[in-house]
Amino acid sequence: MKEITNKIQEIASRLLQEGQVDVFLAWEQGGEAFQTRPYFARTVEEAKNLVFNEYSIHNIANSLLKFRDGQEKIGVVAKGCDSRGIVRLMEDNQISRDRLYIIGIPCPGMKDPLIAARNHSGFNKANESEEGIAKKCRDCIQPNPVIYDELIGEEVAPHFEGERFAKVREIEAMSPDERYKFFEDTLSTCIRCYACRQVCVACDCRTCIFDEMKPQWVGRENNTTDNMMYHIVKASHMAGRCIECGECERVCPVNIPLMVINQKLIKDVDEFFGPYEAGMKYEEGVKPALSMYKEDDPDNFL
Amino acid sequence: MKVLSKEKLQTAFNKLNEGAEVFVPMQKGTQSGFHPWKSFESDKDALMLDALNVYLPPKNVVFPQTEKMYSIKQKGVEINIDETFENYDPTIIFGARGCDIKGILAMDDVFLTKGYEDSFYKARRQNNTIIANACYESGPNCFCSSMEVNPTDPAGADVIIRDTGKEYVWETKTEKGEAVTAVIADLLEEKEVKLPEAKPFKQNVDYDGVAEKLKGMFEHPMWDKLAEPCVNCGMCTYVCPSCYCFDIQVKMWGDEGYRFRCWDSCMYEEYTREAGGGNPRGAAKERFRNRFLHKLEFFKERYDTPLCTGCGRCIAVCPNGINIIKIIEQVKEAEINE
Repeated sequence: MKEITNKIQEIASRLLQEGQVDVFLAWEQGGEAFQTRPYFARTVEEAKNLVFNEYSIHNIANSLLKFRDGQEKIGVVAKGCDSRGIVRLMEDNQISRDRLYIIGIPCPGMKDPLIAARNHSGFNKANESEEGIAKKCRDCIQPNPVIYDELIGEEVAPHFEGERFAKVREIEAMSPDERYKFFEDTLSTCIRCYACRQVCVACDCRTCIFDEMKPQWVGRENNTTDNMMYHIVKASHMAGRCIECGECERVCPVNIPLMVINQKLIKDVDEFFGPYEAGMKYEEGVKPALSMYKEDDPDNFL
Repeated sequence: MKVLSKEKLQTAFNKLNEGAEVFVPMQKGTQSGFHPWKSFESDKDALMLDALNVYLPPKNVVFPQTEKMYSIKQKGVEINIDETFENYDPTIIFGARGCDIKGILAMDDVFLTKGYEDSFYKARRQNNTIIANACYESGPNCFCSSMEVNPTDPAGADVIIRDTGKEYVWETKTEKGEAVTAVIADLLEEKEVKLPEAKPFKQNVDYDGVAEKLKGMFEHPMWDKLAEPCVNCGMCTYVCPSCYCFDIQVKMWGDEGYRFRCWDSCMYEEYTREAGGGNPRGAAKERFRNRFLHKLEFFKERYDTPLCTGCGRCIAVCPNGINIIKIIEQVKEAEINE
């Protein structure tokens, strides 16, 4: 990791020095080892603060949205999930390829700084869960970057083992009443902080449906009905877009298993319109599933 | 001194629950917060009185996230208020920490002083009793003692309990406190026990002069850099024991409906959106800056106390590692060009 950090600092300094990029996106180290967070270096001096360590888990592609209206050239470090996020943003015309210089890093699997922070907070009786490789990384099918200008390190094998949609199948097998109870229980605890939306790289709408007031599509009351409405609408907007980076579930302050919902849609999109896996490959002009229509699309359900 | 054995704790909750709804810190399913004792299921939930704190503060007891205000009926052009929902049901918050009680005192300032009383808040608050759990050991993110909180003898408590290991020393502070003490009087023993000793804080934050200094720092370039990692979710505001911003909205079915208020967050773009479409805090940085200026400067100017109570929750939950302690330190260190 130290070597990767050195390499990133070296490349970032070079790109900033030569004026190839105006800003370079990676991480910086906070006070504690686990307090790693996204950082934007704009000078060679600032490039010395860049790090890549076992807590560089955030989907840094999300930070690109802060630059979508500008002209800056951007250097960005991309793990597998970050690179798929970048592809998504390019497919949605949020950022153009020629503004980006991508440093790909095959991801060894990250630890979750939030689990460490919570275990460290004194708010848990016992450690919340083990501080090993994060769940989202254990579930990852694409640790290697799918798009890059430079690659640091050797490609690695996916961490994921077992049956990918096991939890989805378990819920599909429930009776409608059981299933309703499951979602009622999990979604009633939502506090509507919208962190799942804000960290999502597929949520790139300028005006979000949940912020619209005229008409107001989804009520603001914190109750099971409005919470369910929020999550159902958010999830359906993710169909064909979710790159399975797991950030929504990771940041949720009340631990809602959001990836079960997203995985159901990934599975359905793949079965109905696929084979399809979001953000795996960038081809100019190609749109993700459910982002276009043809006149001869089947409509026998109407 | 009066002492409540930990073995009698659940009996005490049951007794208190007869005359009031008792909220206790618990891990309920995936959520850690203050939940009604009557909802406690011993096979699924865990009492969290021994933990430093819970993730969701008790502010929802006096200021629920969603609160129905009044119902409306419409006849032609005439609109009538049908029923108002001021809630006078007695509540007890059991085991709140000093930082969280300070949050409620800050809300008292907002909702009950300066010439305006919020009747909905007042109704809940006047029938609310707070049993504080004194803190003798701070967590890694705790800095309440730097933010005008006394963790071992918190202001605003009606009763203070002090954990000695096997029992709680029970100290009644107010008339409201005497009323709840009377309810469980037969469970209390008279006994001399040694009080715990307060350990020094791991974090000492120098808030002195920060509010005054921030007056000249609205346009300081440091906000650009500080705001960069922030994703503008509202998590910090919803886990905050003192954030009190709300929105009032209406739900109508045909000619019937009700008005309600619900928590809102200054982190949301929609929060400051104006009727004509303008937005004075349209940019993410502006919203970020406002949150910290409100906590550290504006509230202090208006009510002579900071709005941050030093509980450290936002530090523990922030997805992108924003740390208010570091921000206060940077404000202290910042150079201002006059």
